[in-house]
Amino acid sequence: MKKQKEKGKKLNPIDNKIIDEKFGAIFAEAQRRKKERQNNSIPKIHIGLSTCGIAAGAMETKTAFEETLSQRGIEAQIHCVGCIGHCYAEPWVIIENSESGFPPIFYPQVTAGKAKMLTKLYLEEGDPRLEHILGAMEENEMIPSVWEFSRFSKEKRIVMDLCGKIDPDDINEYIAEDGYSSWAKALKSPPDEVLKQVLGSGLRGRGGAGFLTGKKWELALKQTHLEKIVICNADEGDPGAYMDRTILESNPHQVLEGLALCAYAIGAHKALFYVRAEYPLAVKTIQNAISQAMESGIIGKDILGSGFDLEMDVFQGSGAFVCGEETALILSMEGSRGMPYHRPPYPAERGFQGLSTVINNVKTLAAVPPILKNGASWYRQTGTPESPGTAIFSVVGNVTHPGLVEIPMGVTLRTLIFDICGGIPDKKKFKAAQIGGPSGGCLPEEFLDTPIDFDSLIEAGAMMGSGGMVVLDEDTCMVDVAKYFLDFTQKESCGKCTFCRIGTWHLLSILQRLTIGEGQEGDIEKLEQLSHDIKNGSLCGLGKTAPNPVLTSLKYFREEYEAHIKEGCCPAASCRALSAYYIDLDKCARGCDACVGCCPVDAVFTTSNRKKGIDQQLCVKCGECKVHCPPDYNAIFRISPAHLAPIIERPKEENQ
Amino acid sequence: MVQILVDNNIIEAENGANLLQTCLENGIYIPNLCYLNDSQEPFAACRLCFVEIDGHPVAACTQKVSEGLQVQTDTSAVRSLQKTAFRLLLSVHEIKCKECSANKRCDLQRIAKFLKVGLKPKGLEIRLKDPGLDSGHPYLIVDQNRCVLCGKCVQVCLQKHGHSYLTFAKRGFDTVISGYIEPDDIPLTFSGCTLCIDICPVMAISLKEGIKS
Amino acid sequence: MDVILTSEDKVIIEKLGSRLTQCEKVKTNLIPILQMIQEELKYLPPEVIKMVAKYLEIPGSEVYGVATFYNQFKFNPPGKNPIKVCLGTACHVRAGDIILENFERKLGISEGQTTEDREFSIERVACVGCCALAPVAIMGDTVHGHMAPSKVEGLILRVQVEHEKAERERQKIESDRQ
Repeated sequence: MKKQKEKGKKLNPIDNKIIDEKFGAIFAEAQRRKKERQNNSIPKIHIGLSTCGIAAGAMETKTAFEETLSQRGIEAQIHCVGCIGHCYAEPWVIIENSESGFPPIFYPQVTAGKAKMLTKLYLEEGDPRLEHILGAMEENEMIPSVWEFSRFSKEKRIVMDLCGKIDPDDINEYIAEDGYSSWAKALKSPPDEVLKQVLGSGLRGRGGAGFLTGKKWELALKQTHLEKIVICNADEGDPGAYMDRTILESNPHQVLEGLALCAYAIGAHKALFYVRAEYPLAVKTIQNAISQAMESGIIGKDILGSGFDLEMDVFQGSGAFVCGEETALILSMEGSRGMPYHRPPYPAERGFQGLSTVINNVKTLAAVPPILKNGASWYRQTGTPESPGTAIFSVVGNVTHPGLVEIPMGVTLRTLIFDICGGIPDKKKFKAAQIGGPSGGCLPEEFLDTPIDFDSLIEAGAMMGSGGMVVLDEDTCMVDVAKYFLDFTQKESCGKCTFCRIGTWHLLSILQRLTIGEGQEGDIEKLEQLSHDIKNGSLCGLGKTAPNPVLTSLKYFREEYEAHIKEGCCPAASCRALSAYYIDLDKCARGCDACVGCCPVDAVFTTSNRKKGIDQQLCVKCGECKVHCPPDYNAIFRISPAHLAPIIERPKEENQ
Repeated sequence: MVQILVDNNIIEAENGANLLQTCLENGIYIPNLCYLNDSQEPFAACRLCFVEIDGHPVAACTQKVSEGLQVQTDTSAVRSLQKTAFRLLLSVHEIKCKECSANKRCDLQRIAKFLKVGLKPKGLEIRLKDPGLDSGHPYLIVDQNRCVLCGKCVQVCLQKHGHSYLTFAKRGFDTVISGYIEPDDIPLTFSGCTLCIDICPVMAISLKEGIKS
Repeated sequence: MDVILTSEDKVIIEKLGSRLTQCEKVKTNLIPILQMIQEELKYLPPEVIKMVAKYLEIPGSEVYGVATFYNQFKFNPPGKNPIKVCLGTACHVRAGDIILENFERKLGISEGQTTEDREFSIERVACVGCCALAPVAIMGDTVHGHMAPSKVEGLILRVQVEHEKAERERQKIESDRQ
């Protein structure tokens, strides 16, 4: 019986023993190091050092900790980790100071000054300065925990579980958390076992279209006559989504493991990361991860004694959004212009240099190791039957707690935006959520109870896309948002096919006209007809989805388009050519100069009774004066159409 | 050999043959600009050769012939897409037919006649490139405001010489056919090859003055 | 605009020429080679396009066609203080275009251009992935989050002041030497 079961295996039990031995040794060493860290009772300071953290000043924070620690002679360990996804809290630190008796504590917005203060008061004197904390990292009886906060508790982390917890530059930290155990397990069983699990899990590609990952792999597996290559697509280019970069920077090994599993499943001996060159830290991190995995014998020749070879490398994408499209990506790797070509043949049938090529997104690949570790049915427990697993969104825009959020598929937009991300700041009203970036659409309030999954979003007119979500409040003009996305796709169109090259240009030019008050009767119909034809006529996905922002905003916010055309009015008073700032003289305070100094073009003048007025000819409508006007007066307003702004004459003598 | 039905005509063709080429060879005209006969991988860029299969408009150049395939070339969806694509092309095309060397031999004129539309991009703003003439190539001039970016010139040059001396340059709306200067010490000499000039459907490429073919 | 190579540029190009010989002569290396040059020289003048074409034995037109397709490659030398203004979605919603406009107004150049003294250049980028800090501008290697029009002048001024200070110190050292 036992023999029969093993008949299908490529390897014999002796090989399996070797794999167990080799991986066992690696795992034991990683565990030993982890224990050593844990048993060391000196305080630990975890700092998030991915691109967004560094941008927010995390390097300065780190330096401040280091300097203060050495000045005061305090012994502590600084642990550099990746991004935890809580961008609103950047730069953040978690301090473990077990001797103080407190649990590990999460501190948001730790500037260099705060770092010095915490070192002195908490690490030296034992006072955790509770007014500065977000919460404790575990339940306890002394201080509230972050898990009482829905931004933490309502997430479900499968892909990003270790992001922000481990040092991305140390492979041992990943291994100690059971990393590469799926890989070692897979190597002991036949490749179909991996494919079976991935197929069974119902995992769908997270790059946008939501194609079944297992099916894609199966198609490649069938190309028995071809050599194969697998590629991780990290050419993230959606202007508002950065989760792929964050995952690569925070936990590269999980993606690497997923890519290796994909290679094993289809029988490829070459694997590549295609990473945007604009992501230098991600490139560096993944390069380092590859060389560490090579050194450990986790990839390379005769991996862990299994006889399986796998070579890995990084290719840097040169910044063309269209290269996210598989066929364009392949052409760019071949040293050509990334102009997509017609499929079929699919890359699995004929791809990079004629090889059978499987291209998967970062998030897709990172979901594979947990699936293999816990099984397909475990994965299906999360999410919906048609869209199993989790979705990762970068929620940005007018929202209180922006950042990366991993939630089970099927959670509603309302839960995501209001419960998890804290809703709209400044008591403004929610207007729309733009989902899926330039290929996606804007969904209004009526859709807040739409479950987030591949099919429901498409039905509503948006799409999962790359997972970018921009929350828009009442001050946002939907025509302007449509224009923004068209401007992007128009610039990023490869220029190959007629519809996308010329059609998107015309769409943009009409939208531009609308936002400066030069709309004409019939423009809306023209937009609709052109959008429809571009959608149906374009060669690749970029063109086919490019009109979506226009179509959805027309569908749900048609009256805004009409107001722009018929009344020269931007209902959100956001289009600059159609609106004006003015100062309400009843509210303006005599002698106050707040708005004068901040105006970049000296458009604010003093009236004869020492109040202020705005010279509409000079004003560039940047809104700085409104920001700087003291809240006690709140005297500056914006209005559309522009001619409704009350006219305040500039005193004659000032003109001279 | 297999049989397919195009509109009401039964056509016999090789299984797997290109649908557009099959139709053209059987006297059924479908507007097209970028298709090169017998090409393995159709460029599929001009988006004019739409036909309807199973109720969906598809570019005929990307389809293969198979037994029992039913194709309609004249449905409203097909014509709407063709007319829009054609109008888009005209909106970036300098329409000076009388002064144009391609007059009466121009594929755009043929398509206009076939689609029964004028040579004006109705309802669309016209946007021409400035400068319109690219004389970067050592002996060719490309008229960017005539060019429809079908890419045939690049294809034939590549096929003949293994490398193309004309190329697509820039991106998106700014895409042009460009003949960028060659390395100084290996000057490109005119061999008499005029494949790119001959293949151009709108005669946008010409020899520089003083160079004789 | 015709680009005139500075003597420093020429030195770098010469070095790049010898580094080229370490790359395998295959077309798949075209983009990595261009990336290496962009990294070192910060732009691709015609001389470089020709050099790469000659090395890979492909027409210059092909190199040019590929280089002009990708955003990463520039054809004009950037300023010593390149300013990148993010116009990703989040930055746009928070008026990143006004930040860009302010830089353009203060420096008297448009996006894509370099000031005459080659000190500053302005570029718009499509998302640097710091959306929670929107609007964002990058000067040199430093990311400036939560930008406001009134901060623009300060940023430029700081560079100019530092530049002048360095210039004065340089002069001082020189006069001390004499």
